Amino acid sequence: MKIAIVGCGGMGHIHAAAYARMTHVRIVGVCDVDPIRAAELGERIGAPSYTDYGQLLAAEAPELVSLTVPSHLHLAYIEQTAAHGAHIVCEKPLALTVADAEAALAVCAKHGVRLFVGHVVRFFPDYAGLKHAVDGGRIGTPGVAHLRRVGGYPERQWFAEEAKSGGVITDLMIHDIDYARWTLGPVRSVYCLRRTAAGLDYALATLVFASGAVANLESHWGYPGSFRTAAEFAGDGGVVRLDSAASAALHMRKTPPKRTDACARTGEGPAPAAADAAPAPAAAEIPRSPLRKSPYARELEHFVDCLRLGGAPLVTATDALQALRVAEAAHQSARTGRAVYLSSEEGERL
Amino acid sequence: MTPPVKIGMISMAHGHAHAYMEALLAMPQADIAGIAHPSRDEVADVLARTGIPYYADYRELLQTDIDAVVICSENALHARHTIDAAMAGKHILCEKPLGIEVGEMTRMIDACREGGVQLMTAFPCRYLTAAEEARQAILRGEIGEILAFKGTNRGTFPGSWFADSARSGGGALLDHSVHVLDLLHWMMPGAAVREVYAYAANRFQPEHEIDDAGMLHVTFDNGACGVIDTSWSRPRTFPTWGDVTLEIVGSAGVLSLDAFAQHNEVYSDAAGKGAYAYWGDGMDELMVRAFVDAVRSGRPVPITGADGLHAARAALAGYDSVRSGQPVRLA
Ligand SMILES: NC(=O)c1ccc[n+]([C@@H]2O[C@H](COP(=O)([O-])OP(=O)(O)OC[C@H]3O[C@@H](n4cnc5c(N)ncnc54)[C@H](O)[C@@H]3O)[C@@H](O)[C@H]2O)c1
Repeated sequence: MKIAIVGCGGMGHIHAAAYARMTHVRIVGVCDVDPIRAAELGERIGAPSYTDYGQLLAAEAPELVSLTVPSHLHLAYIEQTAAHGAHIVCEKPLALTVADAEAALAVCAKHGVRLFVGHVVRFFPDYAGLKHAVDGGRIGTPGVAHLRRVGGYPERQWFAEEAKSGGVITDLMIHDIDYARWTLGPVRSVYCLRRTAAGLDYALATLVFASGAVANLESHWGYPGSFRTAAEFAGDGGVVRLDSAASAALHMRKTPPKRTDACARTGEGPAPAAADAAPAPAAAEIPRSPLRKSPYARELEHFVDCLRLGGAPLVTATDALQALRVAEAAHQSARTGRAVYLSSEEGERL
Repeated sequence: MTPPVKIGMISMAHGHAHAYMEALLAMPQADIAGIAHPSRDEVADVLARTGIPYYADYRELLQTDIDAVVICSENALHARHTIDAAMAGKHILCEKPLGIEVGEMTRMIDACREGGVQLMTAFPCRYLTAAEEARQAILRGEIGEILAFKGTNRGTFPGSWFADSARSGGGALLDHSVHVLDLLHWMMPGAAVREVYAYAANRFQPEHEIDDAGMLHVTFDNGACGVIDTSWSRPRTFPTWGDVTLEIVGSAGVLSLDAFAQHNEVYSDAAGKGAYAYWGDGMDELMVRAFVDAVRSGRPVPITGADGLHAARAALAGYDSVRSGQPVRLA
């Protein structure tokens, strides 16, 4: 299967690395408006690089395209790709609005191409395991859930522009919205509080489900600690929870470079520093939760298998659309201060 | 040296009564002069162990020369017990929530003022050493301006009268929101709750009618806003009774409080499950001591009836929000 990747940034590299290790696929081209980024990724994986997507489509005729461009560009690239007749893996969020997401589904249907959306949390073994426990009745009937996703403020400038990324709700909380819907079913109402400041975007959303269960989702850009996610589901027969910080199987703690003065050796409180002594550098700590196959690789392999073998994906484009409905309701609630009740379209899936 | 403060216990209905009683028994500055409880059988063990005189009717206890009372009756009785104690001239430490209705809590506060006695609301979480440190850090401005928060005060289903809203005034949303609400009120001096949105439902104890799942959003008049999970959602197999956590997002940092993180993990085949053994400072003891000190010295109690009213009013407004499905503004 001939694969192309559009957008050679953080996610473009992750997709490329995953495809490169897969059988049945070959990366035939990469594309980025930034020629340096395009060339760099092209060289790394040994594929031609383009700055013009039309040229890539014409020259390489990919059968599947990964769209890893900034989110506000997803729809335009979906339209161009579908018109070319190639299947699509689009990074989450599918689009920034429900209207754009609906347009994306429609154009793919019209051209008869499949649309997969990278809601990768469903492929994280801790999250998959938690759902498995809930589905298996291990906690009885679910009642109250918490989902948490906190990390530093994104470094790339476009994330700070609400019109391009959708902010912390549409970009980050969307992961947990999809996961909550997957695990607890259709959402009835959304109430959301949001605080923003320079370098900070923080949102708390309470979702009430058609089942009567409730979940609170916390998303934080600008958290002054390492990236961390957690989830807890409580039911009338038990509790199941996960915490990425607690499951980091490997920690590397590097000794700061040796100081020359003899005082620095005891480790018992601050050394009685000489007046001119430089402050000791903080010890670096890197937590890791390594897996033979990353969740992104599992996800992309699954999508490729769906194309090759014709199966239904674990997460559908409709799921991605429904998640955006909830995200849009959260935005509306944060803006108006009111709880937002979702239309029958979400309720219909009861 | 001033003689010990003579204290009467009005009702042992709330389990905290036993913790407060133990704290008082351990204090040379206090004497427990009597226990009033409607059923002698229910307190027979305590009476036998401590030798404290028993009163079937709390009004008889109020006629004695006690200085103060500790009220741990069912929530619906707090008002009557407090007002009677105030009229008898006794200082009062009242279990939270202060009351189950705003009007009656106002009358409680008025009665204490008129009776010239002090009214303290039992919010032991203020005596968590880590909470005190968090407050100091906030007041020093270490995390800047408080923007948002997320808290939990989850527990195990308490059963008995807690499940009967006629006596409790409400379920988990009332029982468990007031602690964290009060911590926030205390950490942001001068700020009060302006608006609440809540969801409450029966999810964990289907054989009871009471709300046991609760999510309470609050917005303070200084703009700080957040959510508190108040659910009685800890299963029997959970290693501890529940939790008090509070993460506060400031403009210059984040503070995370996990009140009972100071524990050892105990895995015992005899218990059939793992358990947390808490070893941090005892908050009940410190709170009861603060009450006794205030009564002895005549200084104001550190947590007032107004504080109790502030927290309970926000929690009660939560039920209005549950009914309307929309946020409710506090007058
Ligand atoms: N699934 C996940 O966990 C996850 C994580 C991060 C980001 N994402 C999503 O992936 C997408 C990309 O995010 P990222 O972090 O890789 O961003 P990024 O900024 O690192 O990369 C985006 C790349 O797109 C390029 N680009 C910009 N405009 C373009 C255009 N018109 N045509 C072609 N290329 C263009 C940029 O030069 C850049 O190289 C976003 O939709 C984001 O929400 C998903």
